[in-house]
Amino acid sequence: MIWHILLLSGLVIFSILAVLAKDLIKSAISLAVSSLLLGILFFQMQAPYAGVFEISVVAGLITVLFMLTIALTKAEDDVRESKLPRLVFPLFFAAFILIDIFVMKGLLTKVPALPDVAEQGSFSDVLWKQRTFDLVGQLAVILAGVFAVLALFRKRDKDE
Amino acid sequence: MNSDWYLYMAFAAVLLFVGVYCLLTMKNVIKLFIGIEVISKGLSLALLATGFVAKNTLLAQSLVITFIVVEVCLVATALALIINIYRHTKSLDVRKLAKLKG
Repeated sequence: MIWHILLLSGLVIFSILAVLAKDLIKSAISLAVSSLLLGILFFQMQAPYAGVFEISVVAGLITVLFMLTIALTKAEDDVRESKLPRLVFPLFFAAFILIDIFVMKGLLTKVPALPDVAEQGSFSDVLWKQRTFDLVGQLAVILAGVFAVLALFRKRDKDE
Repeated sequence: MNSDWYLYMAFAAVLLFVGVYCLLTMKNVIKLFIGIEVISKGLSLALLATGFVAKNTLLAQSLVITFIVVEVCLVATALALIINIYRHTKSLDVRKLAKLKG
């Protein structure tokens, strides 16, 4: 449990760094580190497949995509962020944590108790037999993403 | 069971808050997208933690994997959009997108 709390705290700290860092590269790297911590947490929660996906895809691929975009745009200096949000953040954060601690317990008691159903079969049984429709949806989303990226870049070529 | 769930959900809510704060206050488009990523981390944590606490990790895992696939497609499309926006306006400032003029 202590490990979980440490990992969760690291996750929150690196996410805050990702949001508040002025340099975009630093924020992308902090985001990758927070994904890595989340992946380790998934491993600790006996969810190795989700952990592998989180580390390889979110910490790896998405970080590469972010780096590529930052390198292709190179305009980080031209956006002037005001300093106020960074200065006021600790105040709002502390207020939210207080609200979170007091309200979350009450909210969770209103959620009906989850049924403790014993798991049957293996992970592949659940993924391929119970959630087959999810896989169809995933396929559709991947195709939509591919076509969207193709369409976005083709349009640019025509303009030029 | 309930105290563990409370802990995970409290942390997921904190991640959600950090992401929403970023969305509300930042002006760089890439930064806004990093905020969306932070929110999605909070959501996948909430999904898997609920499965872990209810001792139904397999179902939660398959849901998290679906979520991650959707997230990657979203990131790829949005970053392509951001590059196009940059080529159009020569800036990443979200305030310059207020005009609908081509």
